[in-house]
Amino acid sequence: MILKIFITFFKIGAFTIGGAYAMIPLIRREVCQKNNWLTEDEFLDGLSAAQSCPGPIAINLSIYIGFHLAKGKGMATAVLATILPSFITILIIAMLFQQFAEVTLVQKAFHSLRPAVVALIAVPLIQMSKQSGLTLSNCWFPLSVAVLVGFLKISPVYLILITIAFAVYQGLKKQK
Amino acid sequence: MMIYFELFRTFFKIGLFSFGGGYAILAMINQEVVLKNAWLTNSQFMDIVAISQMTPGPIAINAATFIGYQKGGFLGSVISTLGVIFPSLIVMTLITLTYIKLKNQPWFKNIFRKLRLLSLGLIAAAFIMIAGDAFRDLFSVLVFTASFIASWKFKLNPFYLLIGAAVIGIALG
Repeated sequence: MILKIFITFFKIGAFTIGGAYAMIPLIRREVCQKNNWLTEDEFLDGLSAAQSCPGPIAINLSIYIGFHLAKGKGMATAVLATILPSFITILIIAMLFQQFAEVTLVQKAFHSLRPAVVALIAVPLIQMSKQSGLTLSNCWFPLSVAVLVGFLKISPVYLILITIAFAVYQGLKKQK
Repeated sequence: MMIYFELFRTFFKIGLFSFGGGYAILAMINQEVVLKNAWLTNSQFMDIVAISQMTPGPIAINAATFIGYQKGGFLGSVISTLGVIFPSLIVMTLITLTYIKLKNQPWFKNIFRKLRLLSLGLIAAAFIMIAGDAFRDLFSVLVFTASFIASWKFKLNPFYLLIGAAVIGIALG
């Protein structure tokens, strides 16, 4: 069982390039359909818990599934297997990077990659503004976050803590 | 010895305060790694984001492994990577055990509604933090525009988009 968990999550870790949202359908197929480890409902519960927790979604999801399958041992196996492919890949790149960073071709490639990365950040910004319930009356909030963190270099830590505290307070007040 | 402790502390903090996944945590990583510890310049930070989008695994893990190796060799990369997943292990275990009870509480749901808006602001902040260093010449602006259209209009996968950008950079840059 542990070996099966390891192989499945290693595969999930190795074949997901380009963020957690590309990873979710693959995890679902492996876990719900191929191995029948979780029902669809259990998977969706785990997914929303994983999205609610701090940390990468893929890691949170493997913690949830690993724990569900074999408690602590399953959890450790699933997490280790998920990060191992990316750990090995990046380690090799980091080792090579120091030798190749000065090569003109590599510099040229990165010169062009930087603005492409900025574009990759700009696009979800626009897409997400539609999905996150942005309205005229609440847009002051993300805008001030952007100014505070982006220009004034305030740490996101404080803003996250204040936001959580305020949301709990507001939610509890409504409940009464 | 000190550097290992600093790496663990920094990446633990990044792991603990990375909500919403992906691009929303770039501002947090930039704040800690570029502004606070000066382990990387803004350009090197963008390089790591580019590398992490072309290789498997979440950005936070990729950044931890890469920076950990640069600052503390193999051991540094192991410590940083463990540091970034450690908060997940604790919080996710607690949540897994209590989630069914929590998920219908209005205050609990309200947290994520508010955090979603916050994430939006944080992505914008990451954009502000790095855009200045990316646009150095006309070529950069052209690459940005082309990438933006490819991703926005044609939904091109980030992997192919970045490979394309690298090839164009080598050929024309």
